[in-house]
Amino acid sequence: MAESTAHFVQLGPKELQALYAISSAIAREPDLEKSLATIVALARPVLIFDNFVVFAKRESTFETVFARNIGRGRAAEAELAWGDSIAGDVFSSGKKQMLQERLENWELNRLHQHDMLGLPLMMADEMLGAMIIGRFGGPEFSASQIQLAELVADYVAHLLTRAHLVRRIADLEAERRLQTLQENFIATVSHELKSPLGFIKGYTTTLLRKDITWDDKSQREFLTIIDEETDGLRSLIDNLLDSSRLQSGTLRMQKQVVQIDELMHEVVNRTRRRYTNLQIGLDIRSKFILSADPMRLTQVLDNLISNAVKYADGSPIWFMVEWMQNPLIPGLEGHVIVKDRGPGIPAEHVDRLFTRFYRVPGINPQTHGTGLGLYICKEIIQAHGGEIRCESRPGQGTSFHIYLPIIGQTPLSVS
Amino acid sequence: MKEKILIVDDEPRYLRLMEANLIPEGYTVVKAINGLQAVDMVAKEKPDLLLLDVMMPVLDGFQALERIRGFSNVSVICVSAKGEEPDRVRGLDLGADDYILKPFSATELLARVRAVLRRSQRPQMSPEANSLFVHGNLRVDFARAEVYKDDKMIYLSATEYRVLLQLVQASGKVVHSDQLLKDVWGDEYSEDKEILWVSISRLRQKLEDDPRNPIHIVTRSGVGYIMPGEGE
Repeated sequence: MAESTAHFVQLGPKELQALYAISSAIAREPDLEKSLATIVALARPVLIFDNFVVFAKRESTFETVFARNIGRGRAAEAELAWGDSIAGDVFSSGKKQMLQERLENWELNRLHQHDMLGLPLMMADEMLGAMIIGRFGGPEFSASQIQLAELVADYVAHLLTRAHLVRRIADLEAERRLQTLQENFIATVSHELKSPLGFIKGYTTTLLRKDITWDDKSQREFLTIIDEETDGLRSLIDNLLDSSRLQSGTLRMQKQVVQIDELMHEVVNRTRRRYTNLQIGLDIRSKFILSADPMRLTQVLDNLISNAVKYADGSPIWFMVEWMQNPLIPGLEGHVIVKDRGPGIPAEHVDRLFTRFYRVPGINPQTHGTGLGLYICKEIIQAHGGEIRCESRPGQGTSFHIYLPIIGQTPLSVS
Repeated sequence: MKEKILIVDDEPRYLRLMEANLIPEGYTVVKAINGLQAVDMVAKEKPDLLLLDVMMPVLDGFQALERIRGFSNVSVICVSAKGEEPDRVRGLDLGADDYILKPFSATELLARVRAVLRRSQRPQMSPEANSLFVHGNLRVDFARAEVYKDDKMIYLSATEYRVLLQLVQASGKVVHSDQLLKDVWGDEYSEDKEILWVSISRLRQKLEDDPRNPIHIVTRSGVGYIMPGEGE
């Protein structure tokens, strides 16, 4: 602060001690709020004030980022102006401002005598905000107190800059992560789209060769591949569309009354027909009724099954349905578990599995996937007011837990 | 007996696709499912042609090609879904003879296979031709289809040998780029300048003392290439 050095006043040992304590305390504290609270506590015995406010500049306006009323200030909190007007003066002038408010009967009522000191918070030539300190019942701020306040303002300016940078870095980091995911996603999707197209094109043109007449068996073989690859392509496109509809909030659930055990039997039977070699266990411990979109719930279960088939190749899959009360997730009493005994997922990836575009790194490139499936599962379950979680232990397998709100239970014997 | 072709892909359905189309043509087909196997099979089976997928686990196609080129001049066609220019150039630069993009049609695959195999049959010189050709420190032995630089034998791929031969046969005269492409690669390649640039650059790396100031294969800008005659 060029101005403060111009009117240099010798600081006393108490003031210097306070400055030293402030500087060493805030150097260790990463949190802006806590640092400012520390400054208030350490500066107050030497600066003597009843309220302390920090405003930060946000584009053309300023907003309060921190305010404390202490002592007399606390008693008068309700009727106190927080220094908005003096802050306005500091902002428009860019300079230190003093204000003496003398309300009616100020000689009798100390709260009606309010001295305020407003200081600009500067970093290089840029004004970041203003620091206002106020005192009730006099005396006015002395020259050495003003100088001390200016030094404190310097610390506060540094803290604001640091907080701003920390926030900015976090924003950029998040942006960069998303961008990387999106770039990978585009590469993955183009590969995933081209792969079935390659088979469809290849086998179709094989069948179309004029110089060969394929026997029935070969024809069937090639056409089956074309058929399956077309299905794969369709489900990929469906996933892409679902994901973008979920993202924009335009995917509506067609809810109806669903009997969970019926839905599970249907899913399991279809899965058995589809993966004839897969061992599947179904354990229905209680029967309940949901208000749900059966097609979307089936989609979630199918997705979990196809993941288990892809990533836990050869492992049996168990389904379990139970009614349970979990204090951590109140109101979600319908519990569905899908469990495999595959290789499991390393802990650092488990939490990110449901992030859009996220794929666990190091997967065999032959294992197809886009990083959309579990994101879609999570969004569908959340649209039902439920929750989905994953528990996994490398080497032991993976369980997906779906918790859903239920609208009623039916006795187990009825079936 | 028709040629033996090694097909390499980690997707069983691609292996089946290529095999289904190649066998009726009379080719013998052997298969590998990753780059490492491919390197082994080239050494053991001595195929005439490799159809090599690029994106594979264990050892990818480019890495495999690099190893294969350390001991074999087998003809190689890279097969890939990655069609961006750097990938194509990288494949050719590592010594692939051609590059096919997925998705491809059965007829395109067969046409490329035929073209590359045709190129790999080392052409016989006419009987009246000298069995030896000397150009500075370079010597071509037509009877053995061998090339020597300073008496050291240089390994050339079939395609590279053919390009060199075209220039030798026309020694002292410019060979037009599109003519080279047609004669060496086939009619369907006459527009594919990139494949020619990469081959010329590889030949220069192998044959020239200073590839940036070539004396054996000289560019005639906008026209083609020339092997300068005596005294030029």
